[in-house]
Amino acid sequence: MKRTWISIVVIILVISLIACNKTQDDIMPVQEQNSPESIHSTQINTKMVYIPGGEYRPFYSADSNDVFVAPFLMDERPVTNQEFLEFVKANPQWRRSNVKRIYADSSYLKYWQGDLKLPQEALPDAPVTYIPWFAAKAFAESVGKRLPTLDEWEFLAMADQDTSNARTKKQYSDDIINLYLEKDRQYKAVKQSGPNYWGVYNMFDLIWEWTDDFNSVLIKSDSRVGEDDKGLFCAAGGATTAADILNYAAYMRFALRASIKANYNIANLGFRCAKDTIISPSQNQEL
Amino acid sequence: MKTLHYFLAVAFLMISCQQNNNSKVKKDLPSNSIFQLSSEWQNQDGKTVHLKDLQGKTLVVVMIYTTCKTACPVLVSKMQLIESKISRQDIKDVSMVLVSIDPETDTPEFLKDFAIKNNMDAPQWVFLRSNEAATQEFANVLSMKYKKISPMDFSHSNIISIFNPQGQLIMQDEGLEIDVDKIVNTVHGVLKG
Amino acid sequence: MKKHLIILAGAAMLFGMTSCKQVSKSGAKSSSNNGTYSQSMPSVDMVAEGEPQEAEVTAAPNVPAPVGDRGPKKWIVNLETTETQAEIADGKMYTFWTFNHTVPGSFIRVRVGDEVTLNLKNAENSVLPHNIDLHAVTGPGGGAAVTTSAPGQTTSFTFKALNPGLYVYHCAAPPVPMHIGNGMYGLILVEPEGGLPKVDREYYVMQGDFYTKVSATNPNLLEFDNDKAVAEQPDYVLFNGKKGSLLGNNMIEANVGETVRIFVGNGGPNLTSSFHVIGEIFDNVYLEGGSTISHNIQTTMIPAGGAAIVEFKCEVPGEFVLVDHSLSRAFNKGAIGKLVVRGDKNHTVFQENK
Repeated sequence: MKRTWISIVVIILVISLIACNKTQDDIMPVQEQNSPESIHSTQINTKMVYIPGGEYRPFYSADSNDVFVAPFLMDERPVTNQEFLEFVKANPQWRRSNVKRIYADSSYLKYWQGDLKLPQEALPDAPVTYIPWFAAKAFAESVGKRLPTLDEWEFLAMADQDTSNARTKKQYSDDIINLYLEKDRQYKAVKQSGPNYWGVYNMFDLIWEWTDDFNSVLIKSDSRVGEDDKGLFCAAGGATTAADILNYAAYMRFALRASIKANYNIANLGFRCAKDTIISPSQNQEL
Repeated sequence: MKTLHYFLAVAFLMISCQQNNNSKVKKDLPSNSIFQLSSEWQNQDGKTVHLKDLQGKTLVVVMIYTTCKTACPVLVSKMQLIESKISRQDIKDVSMVLVSIDPETDTPEFLKDFAIKNNMDAPQWVFLRSNEAATQEFANVLSMKYKKISPMDFSHSNIISIFNPQGQLIMQDEGLEIDVDKIVNTVHGVLKG
Repeated sequence: MKKHLIILAGAAMLFGMTSCKQVSKSGAKSSSNNGTYSQSMPSVDMVAEGEPQEAEVTAAPNVPAPVGDRGPKKWIVNLETTETQAEIADGKMYTFWTFNHTVPGSFIRVRVGDEVTLNLKNAENSVLPHNIDLHAVTGPGGGAAVTTSAPGQTTSFTFKALNPGLYVYHCAAPPVPMHIGNGMYGLILVEPEGGLPKVDREYYVMQGDFYTKVSATNPNLLEFDNDKAVAEQPDYVLFNGKKGSLLGNNMIEANVGETVRIFVGNGGPNLTSSFHVIGEIFDNVYLEGGSTISHNIQTTMIPAGGAAIVEFKCEVPGEFVLVDHSLSRAFNKGAIGKLVVRGDKNHTVFQENK
């Protein structure tokens, strides 16, 4: 009897030792984390354009009510590879080898040759891509800006070269689709094409762009209409005006937004920054 | 002699495991853990908390707003059903977390009130609210879509998520006909390790 | 004694199972004579056996091997959505959007009760998100609601094939007419229990209407023309995504005396096909790809987003022309293909009198 007891005790001891040992092996060295989340400012002064905002009819909305867009400033072009490199230099937590998986999947800055080296053959002034929403947000914070809202972006997207709202022009959507259909266009440098009515470049010809509230595009599980909002699937259900039913370019943008998650890194998805403003249009010239 | 041996063994076990526990706390969080988020939240008692404070328990998480009249009541009742199907022994290792997408309305007092009214005031129920930015960030971590469509109304996706005690996403189920038993089984699976 | 009993019981069971199988088979056969086929149990209750295996899928005009009399199984089907340039007609290139690099997309072949895990990868260099709506799927959007894949991303869902038949699948990402108009469709065959009756040759043909204009950025490239699509005035109506895909060296083949089955689909996006094979009469047509079998059909109507199975026996040699019998499409827009039948003449059936 006594023997049995002893052996049981010994077995327990051995097991516990092994188990505890094993766990201890797993223990990682404690890292000194000096508030790793805080964003260090990056000195990048991209020209911003004053957009007066106003009432606009969102292309796709549950309500199809007009929305008021307050005046805002928008980067005149997307953020470039070189600028993002400056950002990760100042913010090690956003380097490829350091980034937290909760913020970026494994395609983050895919093809960069290292933490601080752009992809081979990448133009420094081409738009940065393979960027998750979280990193775009952090970049914007580091330059004292923010991401544009979906409404701000779409308000600006109504403009063609000549007018602030070209949505009723037949050619408007066709021209954008022509740009959208070109593959690998994200490798071109920014500002090689003409500006729109507001003086903003590259809204359509290089990349898709993150917006702050990209996740406001619901294609299903809408709390008001129950399951499976049919809007995006049935063309006529989503568009709010007759002209918009033919606005295939807008459908493509909304389809893209509905398909992405904030930690995705995609070959042709980048971003630009925006900012609140209180200045009036008359001061625009001085910007 | 026998007793001594036994005593020693138990003592040793206790000590070694205690050490173990201590080290676990210091152990680095997984890179994909929601506890990596540094945002500040308030719970239904008005106490400021971080997501990290939820570490160590299996989490069942849903985002709702308490004034919702359509989808959220369904989600809340699903959460209640899930909670009721976990044994009272196991529930100690589980937090049922409801995160508000309407922090403006859902003040701590409001949430507390909601918790009491809906009989969700046991310790396993955690209600959280923060600012717009943190709410949006958290929603994006859950791949949750939402949009304010009027001052009191939101469109949103209906997702229940399960996280393990290290804050890693284990599963998500989406839609109003969420499979409660599948979620309960998954929770039990996580609890068993 | 006990052992003997067990063996006896086992034998009886085996015998019972075999005879049951026979019964169900003959049942299927007899009902098929009546113009339909049936199955022994609700497919929703069928148990798919084993570990999931990757299913064979094929590019047109080929189809995977028949399911035969196997039981329900688990399959993995991998499809990749791509945006790629290929010849559409007369040396002209067009930007097609595809499932697995071809128009139509890969042919998928399963049986009722099979459980299919469909992985949809969108190529990393795609410009747009894509998804898949399989008409063979019972569930939200036919899968489209859960498969929208951003460029470079993969989505997945699992479905049980409940209804036998020949079904279209297509991309349902907005704007849907554009995705389908660029070639994002294919066929999935769900065979009944026991499989379709054996034939000598099986082919995959899918019609589509194409609306083109010269690309704004590349004068040598054609692209989708929205206006023509809305007006439903295609430049091309094609079998298998290319003018001449079933002509010349690409003709489908059979020998005299063989039975031929063609799985015919119509991707649209807009036109209904009047499918006809000049010089043949369809012995059997599975109307609209479903379970009703009609006999002795000259021309069968195939709606956009629909399909049909046609079967005939090749009695005499020659070239038999597949057309959309809305004939301007055949003569002017490309909806033409050929089946060449080789072998000895049968003067009883056909002879020229000189």
